[in-house]
Amino acid sequence: MNVPMDPESQRILEIVKANLLEVVFDLNPDDIVPESNMTDLGANSIDRVEVVMYASEALQVNVPTVELHGASTLADLVEIFKRHTSDRSR
Amino acid sequence: MRIGIESINFYGARAVLDIRMLFEVRELDMRRFDNLMLVRKSVALPCEDPVTLAVNAAKPLIEAMSAEDRARIELVIVGTESGIDFGKSMTTYVHHYLGLGRTCRLFEIKQACYGATAALQMAVGFVASQASLGAKALVIGTDIGRATIRGSYVEPSQGAGAVAMIVGDEPDVFELDFGANGYHGYEVMDTCRPAADIETGDSDLSLIAYLDCLEHSFAEYARRVEGADFFETFDYLAFHTPFPGMVKGAHRMLLRKLRGTSPAEAEADFDRRVTPSLRFCAEIGNIYSATVYLALCGLIDGADLFQPRRIGVYSYGSGCCGEFYSGVAGPGARTSFKGAALSAALADRYVLSMPEYEQLLDAGLDWVFGVKDQEVDLAPYRNLYDQTLAGRGLLVLKGVRNYHREYDWS
Repeated sequence: MNVPMDPESQRILEIVKANLLEVVFDLNPDDIVPESNMTDLGANSIDRVEVVMYASEALQVNVPTVELHGASTLADLVEIFKRHTSDRSR
Repeated sequence: MRIGIESINFYGARAVLDIRMLFEVRELDMRRFDNLMLVRKSVALPCEDPVTLAVNAAKPLIEAMSAEDRARIELVIVGTESGIDFGKSMTTYVHHYLGLGRTCRLFEIKQACYGATAALQMAVGFVASQASLGAKALVIGTDIGRATIRGSYVEPSQGAGAVAMIVGDEPDVFELDFGANGYHGYEVMDTCRPAADIETGDSDLSLIAYLDCLEHSFAEYARRVEGADFFETFDYLAFHTPFPGMVKGAHRMLLRKLRGTSPAEAEADFDRRVTPSLRFCAEIGNIYSATVYLALCGLIDGADLFQPRRIGVYSYGSGCCGEFYSGVAGPGARTSFKGAALSAALADRYVLSMPEYEQLLDAGLDWVFGVKDQEVDLAPYRNLYDQTLAGRGLLVLKGVRNYHREYDWS
Protein backbone atom coordinates (compact mmCIF):
# COMPACT_ATOMS: atom_id res chain seq x y z
CA MET A 1 0.00 0.00 0.00
CA ASN A 2 1.37 3.41 -0.94
CA VAL A 3 1.50 5.93 1.89
CA PRO A 4 0.75 9.48 0.64
CA MET A 5 3.76 11.81 0.87
CA ASP A 6 3.65 15.09 2.76
CA PRO A 7 4.06 18.26 0.62
CA GLU A 8 7.76 18.72 1.42
CA SER A 9 8.57 15.12 0.51
CA GLN A 10 6.55 15.49 -2.67
CA ARG A 11 8.52 18.64 -3.57
CA ILE A 12 11.85 16.85 -3.02
CA LEU A 13 10.67 13.84 -5.02
CA GLU A 14 9.78 16.07 -7.98
CA ILE A 15 13.30 17.58 -7.92
CA VAL A 16 14.94 14.15 -7.77
CA LYS A 17 12.68 12.96 -10.57
CA ALA A 18 13.51 15.93 -12.79
CA ASN A 19 17.24 15.29 -12.37
CA LEU A 20 16.85 11.58 -12.95
CA LEU A 21 15.11 12.31 -16.25
CA GLU A 22 17.96 14.62 -17.19
CA VAL A 23 20.71 12.10 -16.42
CA VAL A 24 19.09 8.87 -17.63
CA PHE A 25 17.84 9.01 -21.19
CA ASP A 26 14.74 7.23 -22.49
CA LEU A 27 13.05 7.11 -19.11
CA ASN A 28 9.27 7.21 -18.85
CA PRO A 29 8.29 9.77 -16.15
CA ASP A 30 5.34 7.58 -15.18
CA ASP A 31 7.74 4.78 -14.20
CA ILE A 32 9.33 6.96 -11.53
CA VAL A 33 7.52 6.39 -8.25
CA PRO A 34 8.71 6.62 -4.62
CA GLU A 35 9.26 2.87 -4.51
CA SER A 36 11.49 2.99 -7.60
CA ASN A 37 15.08 1.91 -7.36
CA MET A 38 17.37 4.02 -9.56
CA THR A 39 19.33 0.96 -10.68
CA ASP A 40 16.15 -0.72 -11.90
CA LEU A 41 15.35 2.45 -13.82
CA GLY A 42 18.63 2.11 -15.71
CA ALA A 43 20.91 4.47 -13.76
CA ASN A 44 24.48 3.24 -13.34
CA SER A 45 26.51 4.04 -10.24
CA ILE A 46 27.89 7.28 -11.69
CA ASP A 47 24.41 8.35 -12.83
CA ARG A 48 23.04 7.75 -9.36
CA VAL A 49 25.66 9.88 -7.62
CA GLU A 50 25.21 12.55 -10.27
CA VAL A 51 21.44 12.68 -9.77
CA VAL A 52 21.98 13.16 -6.05
CA MET A 53 24.54 15.89 -6.65
CA TYR A 54 22.25 17.87 -8.96
CA ALA A 55 19.30 17.42 -6.60
CA SER A 56 21.48 18.60 -3.69
CA GLU A 57 22.28 21.74 -5.63
CA ALA A 58 18.62 22.39 -6.43
CA LEU A 59 17.66 21.86 -2.79
CA GLN A 60 20.65 23.90 -1.60
CA VAL A 61 21.78 21.23 0.83
CA ASN A 62 25.19 19.65 1.21
CA VAL A 63 24.72 15.96 1.92
CA PRO A 64 27.98 14.18 2.83
CA THR A 65 28.62 11.66 0.04
CA VAL A 66 28.94 8.72 2.43
CA GLU A 67 25.48 9.39 3.88
CA LEU A 68 23.89 8.51 0.55
CA HIS A 69 24.82 4.88 0.75
CA GLY A 70 21.97 2.68 1.84
CA ALA A 71 19.25 4.68 0.11
CA SER A 72 17.80 1.92 -2.02
CA THR A 73 14.60 3.62 -3.17
CA LEU A 74 13.72 7.17 -4.16
CA ALA A 75 11.64 7.39 -0.98
CA ASP A 76 14.79 6.62 1.07
CA LEU A 77 16.64 9.33 -0.79
CA VAL A 78 13.84 11.80 -0.23
CA GLU A 79 14.01 11.06 3.50
CA ILE A 80 17.76 11.84 3.59
CA PHE A 81 17.25 15.10 1.72
CA LYS A 82 14.31 16.01 3.91
CA ARG A 83 16.45 15.58 7.03
CA HIS A 84 19.00 18.01 5.62
CA THR A 85 16.46 20.59 4.42
CA SER A 86 14.80 20.58 7.84
CA ASP A 87 18.22 20.88 9.57
CA ARG A 88 18.85 23.97 7.49
CA SER A 89 15.54 25.57 8.40
CA ARG A 90 16.14 25.19 12.13
CA MET B 1 66.88 18.29 -2.93
CA ARG B 2 65.05 16.81 -5.91
CA ILE B 3 63.16 13.56 -5.29
CA GLY B 4 60.91 11.44 -7.45
CA ILE B 5 60.75 8.85 -10.20
CA GLU B 6 63.99 8.32 -12.09
CA SER B 7 62.58 5.72 -14.48
CA ILE B 8 59.29 3.90 -14.98
CA ASN B 9 58.10 0.86 -16.95
CA PHE B 10 55.05 -1.38 -17.12
CA TYR B 11 54.31 -4.95 -18.13
CA GLY B 12 50.85 -5.53 -19.57
CA ALA B 13 50.95 -9.33 -19.94
CA ARG B 14 50.94 -11.16 -23.29
CA ALA B 15 47.30 -12.08 -23.93
CA VAL B 16 44.32 -9.80 -24.38
CA LEU B 17 40.53 -10.00 -24.48
CA ASP B 18 38.12 -7.75 -26.37
CA ILE B 19 35.67 -6.20 -23.91
CA ARG B 20 32.78 -5.82 -26.37
CA MET B 21 32.98 -9.54 -27.12
CA LEU B 22 32.95 -10.34 -23.39
CA PHE B 23 29.82 -8.20 -22.94
CA GLU B 24 28.09 -9.94 -25.82
CA VAL B 25 28.96 -13.47 -24.73
CA ARG B 26 28.06 -12.83 -21.09
CA GLU B 27 24.86 -11.05 -22.23
CA LEU B 28 25.67 -7.98 -20.15
CA ASP B 29 23.78 -4.71 -20.60
CA MET B 30 25.48 -2.96 -23.53
CA ARG B 31 24.56 0.46 -22.11
CA ARG B 32 27.18 -0.22 -19.47
CA PHE B 33 29.78 -1.01 -22.11
CA ASP B 34 29.92 2.61 -23.27
CA ASN B 35 30.16 3.77 -19.67
CA LEU B 36 33.28 1.65 -19.06
CA MET B 37 35.29 3.25 -21.89
CA LEU B 38 37.47 0.12 -21.93
CA VAL B 39 38.58 -1.43 -25.21
CA ARG B 40 40.52 -4.52 -24.17
CA LYS B 41 41.93 -6.08 -21.02
CA SER B 42 45.13 -7.99 -20.42
CA VAL B 43 44.84 -11.59 -19.26
CA ALA B 44 47.58 -13.46 -17.42
CA LEU B 45 48.35 -17.08 -18.23
CA PRO B 46 48.25 -19.49 -15.26
CA CYS B 47 52.07 -19.61 -15.31
CA GLU B 48 52.11 -15.87 -14.60
CA ASP B 49 51.56 -14.56 -11.07
CA PRO B 50 52.07 -11.21 -9.32
CA VAL B 51 55.78 -12.02 -8.93
CA THR B 52 56.39 -12.67 -12.63
CA LEU B 53 54.43 -9.55 -13.61
CA ALA B 54 56.46 -7.47 -11.16
CA VAL B 55 59.81 -8.83 -12.33
CA ASN B 56 58.89 -8.46 -16.00
CA ALA B 57 57.98 -4.81 -15.37
CA ALA B 58 61.13 -4.03 -13.38
CA LYS B 59 63.76 -5.99 -15.33
CA PRO B 60 64.20 -3.46 -18.17
CA LEU B 61 64.72 -0.68 -15.63
CA ILE B 62 67.35 -2.66 -13.73
CA GLU B 63 69.15 -3.65 -16.94
CA ALA B 64 69.32 -0.01 -18.04
CA MET B 65 71.13 1.01 -14.82
CA SER B 66 74.89 1.04 -14.32
CA ALA B 67 76.25 -1.59 -11.93
CA GLU B 68 77.10 1.23 -9.54
CA ASP B 69 73.55 2.62 -9.51
CA ARG B 70 72.05 -0.85 -9.27
CA ALA B 71 74.08 -1.49 -6.15
CA ARG B 72 72.53 1.61 -4.58
CA ILE B 73 69.02 0.10 -4.58
CA GLU B 74 68.63 -0.30 -0.84
CA LEU B 75 64.86 -0.59 -0.66
CA VAL B 76 62.40 -2.70 -2.65
CA ILE B 77 58.67 -2.43 -1.91
CA VAL B 78 55.91 -4.27 -3.74
CA GLY B 79 52.39 -2.89 -3.39
CA THR B 80 49.77 -5.55 -4.14
CA GLU B 81 46.38 -6.93 -3.21
CA SER B 82 47.14 -10.28 -4.86
CA GLY B 83 49.33 -11.72 -2.11
CA ILE B 84 50.70 -15.26 -2.35
CA ASP B 85 51.70 -15.81 1.30
CA PHE B 86 50.59 -14.39 4.65
CA GLY B 87 54.14 -14.11 6.01
CA LYS B 88 56.80 -14.19 3.30
CA SER B 89 56.54 -11.12 1.11
CA MET B 90 56.67 -11.54 -2.66
CA THR B 91 59.32 -8.82 -2.68
CA THR B 92 61.90 -11.42 -1.69
CA TYR B 93 61.23 -13.35 -4.93
CA VAL B 94 61.26 -10.14 -6.96
CA HIS B 95 64.57 -9.06 -5.41
CA HIS B 96 66.10 -12.49 -6.10
CA TYR B 97 65.10 -12.75 -9.77
CA LEU B 98 66.23 -9.20 -10.45
CA GLY B 99 69.65 -10.06 -9.01
CA LEU B 100 69.77 -7.08 -6.65
CA GLY B 101 72.29 -6.58 -3.86
CA ARG B 102 71.71 -7.74 -0.31
CA THR B 103 72.15 -4.39 1.41
CA CYS B 104 68.50 -3.88 0.89
CA ARG B 105 65.21 -3.54 2.81
CA LEU B 106 62.53 -5.87 1.41
CA PHE B 107 58.84 -5.78 2.17
CA GLU B 108 55.34 -5.81 0.76
CA ILE B 109 52.58 -3.23 1.30
CA LYS B 110 48.83 -3.81 1.22
CA GLN B 111 46.10 -1.18 1.08
CA ALA B 112 44.03 -2.29 -1.93
CA CYS B 113 44.66 -0.08 -4.95
CA TYR B 114 46.48 2.51 -2.83
CA GLY B 115 49.33 0.01 -2.21
CA ALA B 116 51.76 1.30 -4.80
CA THR B 117 51.24 4.90 -3.71
CA ALA B 118 51.89 3.89 -0.10
CA ALA B 119 55.07 2.22 -1.36
CA LEU B 120 56.10 5.25 -3.42
CA GLN B 121 55.58 7.66 -0.54
CA MET B 122 57.60 5.41 1.81
CA ALA B 123 60.38 5.32 -0.76
CA VAL B 124 60.29 9.10 -1.15
CA GLY B 125 60.54 9.45 2.62
CA PHE B 126 63.52 7.07 2.66
CA VAL B 127 65.38 9.00 -0.05
CA ALA B 128 64.51 12.37 1.52
CA SER B 129 65.78 11.27 4.94
CA GLN B 130 69.30 11.00 3.46
CA ALA B 131 69.95 8.35 6.08
CA SER B 132 71.83 6.54 3.32
CA LEU B 133 72.98 9.33 1.04
CA GLY B 134 72.37 8.63 -2.66
CA ALA B 135 70.48 5.39 -2.08
CA LYS B 136 67.65 4.45 -4.45
CA ALA B 137 64.43 2.47 -4.11
CA LEU B 138 62.55 0.14 -6.42
CA VAL B 139 58.77 0.45 -6.09
CA ILE B 140 56.40 -1.93 -7.88
CA GLY B 141 52.63 -2.21 -8.07
CA THR B 142 51.49 -5.64 -9.33
CA ASP B 143 48.06 -7.25 -9.43
CA ILE B 144 45.80 -9.82 -11.07
CA GLY B 145 41.99 -9.83 -10.91
CA ARG B 146 40.40 -12.88 -9.31
CA ALA B 147 38.85 -15.30 -11.80
CA THR B 148 35.85 -16.23 -9.70
CA ILE B 149 33.50 -13.44 -10.66
CA ARG B 150 32.65 -14.56 -14.19
CA GLY B 151 29.56 -12.89 -15.52
CA SER B 152 29.60 -9.95 -13.12
CA TYR B 153 30.04 -6.33 -14.15
CA VAL B 154 33.46 -6.31 -12.50
CA GLU B 155 34.84 -8.98 -14.82
CA PRO B 156 35.22 -6.72 -17.90
CA SER B 157 37.49 -4.30 -16.05
CA GLN B 158 39.71 -6.86 -14.29
CA GLY B 159 43.15 -6.77 -15.87
CA ALA B 160 46.62 -8.11 -15.11
CA GLY B 161 49.89 -6.20 -15.04
CA ALA B 162 52.52 -4.31 -13.09
CA VAL B 163 54.26 -0.95 -13.04
CA ALA B 164 57.83 -0.55 -11.72
CA MET B 165 59.60 2.67 -10.73
CA ILE B 166 63.08 3.60 -9.60
CA VAL B 167 62.85 6.32 -6.94
CA GLY B 168 65.81 8.53 -6.12
CA ASP B 169 67.38 11.98 -6.14
CA GLU B 170 67.73 12.21 -9.94
CA PRO B 171 64.01 12.30 -10.85
CA ASP B 172 64.25 12.80 -14.59
CA VAL B 173 60.82 11.27 -15.21
CA PHE B 174 58.63 12.76 -12.48
CA GLU B 175 59.90 15.15 -9.81
CA LEU B 176 57.55 15.21 -6.85
CA ASP B 177 56.43 18.46 -5.24
CA PHE B 178 57.83 17.43 -1.88
CA GLY B 179 55.29 17.86 0.92
CA ALA B 180 52.47 18.70 -1.50
CA ASN B 181 50.28 15.80 -0.42
CA GLY B 182 46.69 15.66 0.78
CA TYR B 183 45.46 12.38 2.19
CA HIS B 184 42.21 11.11 3.61
CA GLY B 185 41.42 7.67 5.06
CA TYR B 186 38.86 5.89 7.18
CA GLU B 187 37.23 2.48 7.66
CA VAL B 188 34.65 1.52 5.07
CA MET B 189 33.71 -1.88 3.56
CA ASP B 190 33.48 -1.06 -0.13
CA THR B 191 35.54 -3.71 -1.95
CA CYS B 192 37.71 -6.45 -0.57
CA ARG B 193 39.37 -9.83 -1.11
CA PRO B 194 38.31 -11.69 2.05
CA ALA B 195 39.54 -15.07 0.78
CA ALA B 196 42.16 -16.11 -1.74
CA ASP B 197 39.62 -16.75 -4.47
CA ILE B 198 37.06 -14.05 -3.70
CA GLU B 199 36.94 -10.47 -4.89
CA THR B 200 33.74 -8.79 -3.83
CA GLY B 201 32.17 -5.55 -2.66
CA ASP B 202 29.63 -2.85 -3.18
CA SER B 203 30.37 -0.87 -6.33
CA ASP B 204 28.06 2.01 -5.33
CA LEU B 205 29.73 2.40 -1.96
CA SER B 206 33.15 2.17 -3.59
CA LEU B 207 32.33 4.97 -6.01
CA ILE B 208 31.02 7.08 -3.14
CA ALA B 209 34.18 6.45 -1.09
CA TYR B 210 36.38 7.16 -4.15
CA LEU B 211 34.61 10.51 -4.65
CA ASP B 212 34.62 11.33 -0.96
CA CYS B 213 38.37 10.72 -0.69
CA LEU B 214 38.99 12.70 -3.88
CA GLU B 215 37.12 15.68 -2.53
CA HIS B 216 38.72 15.58 0.90
CA SER B 217 42.27 14.71 -0.16
CA PHE B 218 42.28 17.55 -2.68
CA ALA B 219 40.86 19.90 -0.01
CA GLU B 220 43.75 18.89 2.27
CA TYR B 221 46.25 19.36 -0.58
CA ALA B 222 44.82 22.86 -1.18
CA ARG B 223 45.06 23.64 2.53
CA ARG B 224 48.75 22.74 2.54
CA VAL B 225 49.79 24.20 -0.80
CA GLU B 226 49.35 27.93 -0.93
CA GLY B 227 47.46 29.11 -4.00
CA ALA B 228 46.61 25.60 -5.22
CA ASP B 229 43.69 25.62 -7.63
CA PHE B 230 42.32 22.46 -9.19
CA PHE B 231 41.68 24.24 -12.49
CA GLU B 232 44.87 26.28 -12.80
CA THR B 233 47.64 24.43 -10.95
CA PHE B 234 47.76 21.19 -12.94
CA ASP B 235 48.43 20.83 -16.65
CA TYR B 236 47.41 17.18 -16.52
CA LEU B 237 45.73 14.75 -14.15
CA ALA B 238 46.39 11.05 -13.49
CA PHE B 239 43.67 9.33 -11.46
CA HIS B 240 43.33 5.79 -10.18
CA THR B 241 41.43 4.24 -13.09
CA PRO B 242 39.34 1.15 -12.27
CA PHE B 243 37.79 1.94 -15.65
CA PRO B 244 38.08 5.21 -17.59
CA GLY B 245 34.34 5.93 -17.38
CA MET B 246 34.57 6.09 -13.60
CA VAL B 247 37.37 8.66 -13.79
CA LYS B 248 35.27 10.69 -16.19
CA GLY B 249 32.32 10.69 -13.77
CA ALA B 250 34.52 11.51 -10.76
CA HIS B 251 36.24 14.34 -12.60
CA ARG B 252 32.88 15.79 -13.71
CA MET B 253 31.46 15.63 -10.21
CA LEU B 254 34.52 17.18 -8.56
CA LEU B 255 34.46 20.10 -11.01
CA ARG B 256 30.76 20.55 -10.35
CA LYS B 257 31.34 20.64 -6.60
CA LEU B 258 34.34 22.96 -6.76
CA ARG B 259 33.05 25.49 -9.25
CA GLY B 260 29.60 24.48 -10.54
CA THR B 261 31.17 23.56 -13.88
CA SER B 262 28.68 22.57 -16.59
CA PRO B 263 28.86 19.06 -18.09
CA ALA B 264 30.10 20.51 -21.41
CA GLU B 265 32.93 22.45 -19.74
CA ALA B 266 33.84 19.37 -17.70
CA GLU B 267 33.97 17.28 -20.87
CA ALA B 268 36.36 19.74 -22.52
CA ASP B 269 38.57 19.81 -19.44
CA PHE B 270 38.51 16.01 -19.26
CA ASP B 271 39.58 15.71 -22.91
CA ARG B 272 42.41 18.17 -22.41
CA ARG B 273 43.85 17.15 -19.01
CA VAL B 274 42.75 13.55 -18.37
CA THR B 275 42.23 11.70 -21.65
CA PRO B 276 45.98 11.39 -22.43
CA SER B 277 46.36 9.40 -19.19
CA LEU B 278 43.90 6.72 -20.33
CA ARG B 279 45.65 5.28 -23.39
CA PHE B 280 47.19 2.30 -21.58
CA CYS B 281 44.43 1.92 -18.96
CA ALA B 282 41.82 1.46 -21.72
CA GLU B 283 43.98 -1.30 -23.23
CA ILE B 284 44.99 -3.23 -20.10
CA GLY B 285 42.07 -2.81 -17.68
CA ASN B 286 42.24 -2.38 -13.94
CA ILE B 287 45.56 -3.48 -12.50
CA TYR B 288 44.59 -2.34 -9.02
CA SER B 289 47.58 -0.99 -7.05
CA ALA B 290 49.46 -0.24 -10.28
CA THR B 291 46.62 1.44 -12.16
CA VAL B 292 47.28 5.03 -11.15
CA TYR B 293 50.90 4.63 -12.33
CA LEU B 294 49.68 3.15 -15.60
CA ALA B 295 47.73 6.42 -15.97
CA LEU B 296 50.95 8.32 -15.24
CA CYS B 297 52.70 6.26 -17.94
CA GLY B 298 49.92 7.30 -20.33
CA LEU B 299 50.66 10.95 -19.65
CA ILE B 300 54.41 10.49 -20.04
CA ASP B 301 53.78 8.86 -23.38
CA GLY B 302 50.97 11.02 -24.70
CA ALA B 303 50.97 14.43 -23.03
CA ASP B 304 52.68 17.53 -24.38
CA LEU B 305 55.88 17.45 -22.32
CA PHE B 306 58.01 19.71 -24.49
CA GLN B 307 58.23 21.92 -21.44
CA PRO B 308 57.83 21.01 -17.75
CA ARG B 309 54.21 20.23 -16.88
CA ARG B 310 52.68 19.86 -13.43
CA ILE B 311 50.63 16.68 -12.99
CA GLY B 312 48.06 16.14 -10.24
CA VAL B 313 47.88 12.50 -9.13
CA TYR B 314 44.91 10.97 -7.31
CA SER B 315 45.33 7.51 -5.79
CA TYR B 316 42.53 5.60 -4.09
CA GLY B 317 42.45 2.23 -2.36
CA SER B 318 39.30 0.60 -1.02
CA GLY B 319 38.90 0.25 2.64
CA CYS B 320 39.86 3.15 2.36
CA CYS B 321 42.67 5.62 1.78
CA GLY B 322 42.98 8.34 -0.85
CA GLU B 323 45.81 10.71 -1.65
CA PHE B 324 46.16 13.68 -3.96
CA TYR B 325 49.70 14.82 -4.71
CA SER B 326 51.61 16.44 -7.53
CA GLY B 327 54.88 16.56 -9.40
CA VAL B 328 56.48 17.82 -12.58
CA ALA B 329 57.33 15.91 -15.76
CA GLY B 330 59.23 17.50 -18.59
CA PRO B 331 61.12 16.66 -21.79
CA GLY B 332 63.47 14.34 -19.86
CA ALA B 333 60.59 12.04 -18.95
CA ARG B 334 60.50 10.48 -22.40
CA THR B 335 64.23 9.89 -22.64
CA SER B 336 64.11 6.70 -20.60
CA PHE B 337 60.43 5.79 -21.02
CA LYS B 338 60.09 3.29 -23.86
CA GLY B 339 56.62 4.37 -24.94
CA ALA B 340 56.85 3.18 -28.54
CA ALA B 341 58.16 -0.25 -27.57
CA LEU B 342 55.50 -0.61 -24.86
CA SER B 343 52.71 0.34 -27.27
CA ALA B 344 54.10 -2.17 -29.77
CA ALA B 345 54.14 -4.87 -27.07
CA LEU B 346 50.49 -4.19 -26.28
CA ALA B 347 49.58 -4.37 -29.96
CA ASP B 348 51.46 -7.66 -30.16
CA ARG B 349 49.44 -9.38 -27.41
CA TYR B 350 47.69 -12.60 -28.39
CA VAL B 351 43.98 -11.95 -28.98
CA LEU B 352 42.00 -14.56 -27.04
CA SER B 353 38.75 -16.11 -28.20
CA MET B 354 36.13 -16.61 -25.50
CA PRO B 355 36.76 -20.40 -25.29
CA GLU B 356 40.50 -19.72 -24.87
CA TYR B 357 39.78 -17.11 -22.20
CA GLU B 358 37.48 -19.50 -20.32
CA GLN B 359 40.12 -22.21 -20.60
CA LEU B 360 42.72 -19.92 -19.01
CA LEU B 361 40.35 -19.01 -16.17
CA ASP B 362 39.65 -22.69 -15.52
CA ALA B 363 43.35 -23.61 -15.56
CA GLY B 364 44.12 -20.74 -13.18
CA LEU B 365 41.65 -22.08 -10.61
CA ASP B 366 43.99 -25.01 -9.95
CA TRP B 367 46.44 -22.57 -8.41
CA VAL B 368 44.73 -22.11 -5.10
CA PHE B 369 46.34 -20.07 -2.37
CA GLY B 370 48.51 -22.20 -0.10
CA VAL B 371 49.27 -24.98 -2.58
CA LYS B 372 52.18 -27.00 -1.20
CA ASP B 373 53.49 -28.98 -4.17
CA GLN B 374 52.46 -28.52 -7.79
CA GLU B 375 54.11 -28.34 -11.18
CA VAL B 376 52.84 -25.93 -13.81
CA ASP B 377 51.15 -28.01 -16.50
CA LEU B 378 51.36 -26.14 -19.77
CA ALA B 379 49.54 -28.86 -21.72
CA PRO B 380 46.04 -27.32 -21.61
CA TYR B 381 47.32 -24.06 -23.07
CA ARG B 382 50.60 -25.07 -24.75
CA ASN B 383 49.70 -23.29 -27.98
CA LEU B 384 48.97 -20.05 -26.13
CA TYR B 385 52.20 -20.33 -24.15
CA ASP B 386 54.23 -20.88 -27.31
CA GLN B 387 52.70 -17.85 -28.98
CA THR B 388 52.86 -15.46 -26.04
CA LEU B 389 55.72 -16.26 -23.68
CA ALA B 390 58.08 -18.90 -25.12
CA GLY B 391 61.53 -17.62 -26.03
CA ARG B 392 60.90 -14.07 -24.87
CA GLY B 393 63.10 -14.13 -21.78
CA LEU B 394 60.21 -13.33 -19.46
CA LEU B 395 59.89 -14.75 -15.96
CA VAL B 396 57.32 -17.56 -15.62
CA LEU B 397 56.22 -19.77 -12.76
CA LYS B 398 57.49 -23.37 -13.04
CA GLY B 399 55.98 -24.85 -9.90
CA VAL B 400 55.72 -24.88 -6.13
CA ARG B 401 57.85 -27.20 -4.01
CA ASN B 402 57.11 -27.37 -0.27
CA TYR B 403 55.38 -23.97 -0.56
CA HIS B 404 58.41 -22.40 -2.24
CA ARG B 405 57.66 -20.88 -5.64
CA GLU B 406 60.11 -21.67 -8.40
CA TYR B 407 60.43 -19.55 -11.48
CA ASP B 408 62.38 -19.63 -14.72
CA TRP B 409 62.95 -17.49 -17.80
CA SER B 410 60.73 -18.35 -20.76
